[in-house]
Amino acid sequence: MSWLDALLGRSRPVKSKLERLFALTTAGITLEVKAELKPAGRAGICFRPVTSSDFDATRREVEDLLAISAKDTTTKVEQTRDKFGYLWIVLEDEDLEDLVATAHMISLTLEEHGFGERLLAAVFKFVSKKGPAYWIYNYKRGAFYPFVPRTGDERDNAEELRIQAIMAKEMPLEPDLSKWYALWGIPV
Amino acid sequence: MKRQWYGRDTELSIRMILVVFLLTAVYLLFIGVLWDAGVPTVWIIFLAGAMLAAQYFFSDKLVLMATRAREVSPADAPELHARIERLAAMVDLPKPKVAIMEHDMPNAFATGRSPSHSVVAVTTGLMRTLSDEEIDAVLAHELSHIRNRDVMVMTIASFFSTVAYFLVRSLMYVRFDGGDRRKGGNPIIVVWLVALLVWIVSFLLLRALSRYRELAADRGSAIITGAPSQLASALTKISGVMGRIPKKDLREVQGANAFFILPAVTGESIMELFSTHPSLKTRLDRLERLSQEIERL
Repeated sequence: MSWLDALLGRSRPVKSKLERLFALTTAGITLEVKAELKPAGRAGICFRPVTSSDFDATRREVEDLLAISAKDTTTKVEQTRDKFGYLWIVLEDEDLEDLVATAHMISLTLEEHGFGERLLAAVFKFVSKKGPAYWIYNYKRGAFYPFVPRTGDERDNAEELRIQAIMAKEMPLEPDLSKWYALWGIPV
Repeated sequence: MKRQWYGRDTELSIRMILVVFLLTAVYLLFIGVLWDAGVPTVWIIFLAGAMLAAQYFFSDKLVLMATRAREVSPADAPELHARIERLAAMVDLPKPKVAIMEHDMPNAFATGRSPSHSVVAVTTGLMRTLSDEEIDAVLAHELSHIRNRDVMVMTIASFFSTVAYFLVRSLMYVRFDGGDRRKGGNPIIVVWLVALLVWIVSFLLLRALSRYRELAADRGSAIITGAPSQLASALTKISGVMGRIPKKDLREVQGANAFFILPAVTGESIMELFSTHPSLKTRLDRLERLSQEIERL
């Protein structure tokens, strides 16, 4: 938000950056070979709904598009609402490339209807020897960061920093560690 | 073509510009009179500047102390932290510190000189009384205050008002018959009267500015949460509960009124002109209009 906007109290939503999502596809091999993270075949798009009929219509269009694309690919789709009031579209597909493409398609549809700002994050699940690990894409920052939850509300920071160091040159990563927000209870 | 789902409140922007313009005019006039009277203006501005700078830099700590809000860690209040985190991420704001006040009255405030030094505080009553979505709406209202840099805007806007108040107070003890005190064209009594007038006028203007900034934060809340109706119902609940709270409790929190989402004063005797917050009716009307705006688009 610009200084003038702040001075006049003109709130504007922050635009989402969608294109960098594809960086995960290109980084896929390095992830598997160097970071020893295998795609777990699940991803989720998290966004905050707007109470308007226009938004509901957009949501229906997303659902229709997903139904059409599900015929071509083997992507399975479900929707949930988390306890914080955000909507999740959860995708299931063995192919990481398809997951990223579908996530991008959903985001783009929202953006085309003027609701791109409502996107919060896209989450991609991976597995290592130690258990599940997630790559979270923050739409506002246009960057990825790792999230490795362990039992309870513990995060394996050492593991997160390890994969960050390996992937730093491969994909756009969030440099500000204070923005590596946890997402507990991910439905992915 | 892409359409925006949210609109703009040009009228509110114009009102704000007008108030800032009037304030500047009053202040410039004031400086002129001070200068003309030979008052050591530079020194007064320097002193007031130092005072305000202290207030500005310690605002977060001062307000936390005055309201007895206690900072909480993510382990103490995981859900509240998670809510604020997500809302802050939505508008790419650094995550503010989170504080809780042990108080039955549902209320919240935000303070801090810049987004990276900000605090959002809520009362235990707020978390008990409001639903999850309503809590989000209130938190988003506070985050909007941070985004709009309200502490800084109000501090700067009230600068010469503070100077005028200072002069009114200190010149009361100066004997007006002292001939050597006048250097320029105006006797000291004129300076005193002008300072008093400047203080009164700027006080009213600042209150108006504060009310407009509340409306702007209400708007900001709706844009973050996408649900103006949730803030409306939160405000209704808060004001309803606050009306039933005994006076004794209300007085305790008087010092922090300017920062709260709803001021802790009730009753018809307080005219809207003098209050830091718009009336509930004004706010609900605006939110209603915003709902319609979003629906129409």
